[in-house]
Amino acid sequence: MPPAQHTGRSRYRLALLVLTSITLLSLDFRSFGPLDSAQSGVRDLLHPVTSLVDTALSPIGGAWNAAFRYGDLKTENRELRRRIDDLTGHAIEVEADSAAFARLQRAVDIRFGEGIPTVAATVLRGEVGNFDTNVVTIGKGSNSGIREGMAAVTGAGLVGRVSQVDRTTSTVELITEPSLIVGVRVVSTDEVGLGHGVAGEPNQFVIDQGPAWPDNGDPALLPRIGSAIVTATDSRYSAEIPVGTVIDVATPDGLAMVITVELSNDVTDLGFVSVMLDIAPDEVPLLPVVPSTLVPIEIDPAQVDSAAGGGSTP
Amino acid sequence: MTSMRVALLCLVAISLQLTVFVDVRVFGVAPEMLALVAILSGYFGGSQLGPVVGFAAGLLWDVYLPTHLGVSALVFAVTAYMIGTLEAGLFHDSRLQMGAVVALATMATVVSYALLNEILGVRGLIDLEMLRVAAVSGLLNGAISLAAAPAMKWAIRSAANARMAPKPVNRA
Repeated sequence: MPPAQHTGRSRYRLALLVLTSITLLSLDFRSFGPLDSAQSGVRDLLHPVTSLVDTALSPIGGAWNAAFRYGDLKTENRELRRRIDDLTGHAIEVEADSAAFARLQRAVDIRFGEGIPTVAATVLRGEVGNFDTNVVTIGKGSNSGIREGMAAVTGAGLVGRVSQVDRTTSTVELITEPSLIVGVRVVSTDEVGLGHGVAGEPNQFVIDQGPAWPDNGDPALLPRIGSAIVTATDSRYSAEIPVGTVIDVATPDGLAMVITVELSNDVTDLGFVSVMLDIAPDEVPLLPVVPSTLVPIEIDPAQVDSAAGGGSTP
Repeated sequence: MTSMRVALLCLVAISLQLTVFVDVRVFGVAPEMLALVAILSGYFGGSQLGPVVGFAAGLLWDVYLPTHLGVSALVFAVTAYMIGTLEAGLFHDSRLQMGAVVALATMATVVSYALLNEILGVRGLIDLEMLRVAAVSGLLNGAISLAAAPAMKWAIRSAANARMAPKPVNRA
């Protein structure tokens, strides 16, 4: 085949592929239903294969962690040695089972959201790529009644939001994701606001929309350090789910208040979670609209102007 | 038959990415297995076959990523095409050369993926961390390519054989 014709055909093929990609992108932007179903179908289809491979190759991951996460293991070892002193030889195995059971218990022992049914699920894996650092995949899906937008929790509080549901697995966007906005309430001051995770800080959460800095800067009006933060009534999730505790209150400009919160959940080490099976509004929470004008709307602005001008206009 | 072998290779790559490389990370970075499939297909399959395999591998990876469907497919197809085009003038007898090409192409793929996502409104991907991810995943892919190359050659052997065959010498 002549080189020119060969190159021309390659370019033509590439152009077709680029156009197909752009079409897929535009359909995805419009949340085209059949496309979501197709993706979900592919994940469901491949799930048995990946599960099988995971089971077969999990020793590799274990060996890698043992070899290269030496620092973490040293800390763990210190803790284990302390426990070993109090335990008999075979108790180590029992302890591992107990630890897993305790984690499961913590995940299902939900003391909030009364009356809302929950389903417990194992965390199958953390992030799969190099850029999606704030998601986990759990081992329950639409077959168990899970729907997109539901809250994932443990006994300690909010873990995140179900962002993708397949038949047997779901993806949970963690509360540490900076783009996940959560409507929250500061218990000590009863103020509501919007918060989000902080990039690179897996245990922190920042409330930077809503609460205003007191005019006189009176510390008594500020949220107390250690005060609880829970989900607000108007949030995407059920109200009163614990989020964390206040560790810092600051103002960048003397007007807005930035509240730094230590999350109640350690989302970097999740074994199990519970999904609250309530239907949540699938919208980003909005703060209540507060009229911004200081002038009552029934007053004619012209009159205000004339009053400000000293009443010189007849 | 080639498509079946390529599909099998993609399945192996995605399975490894979703299982082994969730834990096995170097400095917190995993290799980009599907990008490796795309790049090697461009390297051995040329600009005709490479983009098609790259597109398919990218689409499969997109299914598992939280970003928009089509981003990886687009980036991988273009990368495979460029590797297939640029690589045509290079020698093919050096494993070191192949490793270097794969490493650089992976870095370009990771950066392009982040840039395209940023353009599409996904925030937080463009920073120094991205450069670290690109560098480490590039080096990892370069190393893994030495083991993965025979598998790719097997998957696309008819196309690769035609491409690697010595060119007839024009004695006229």
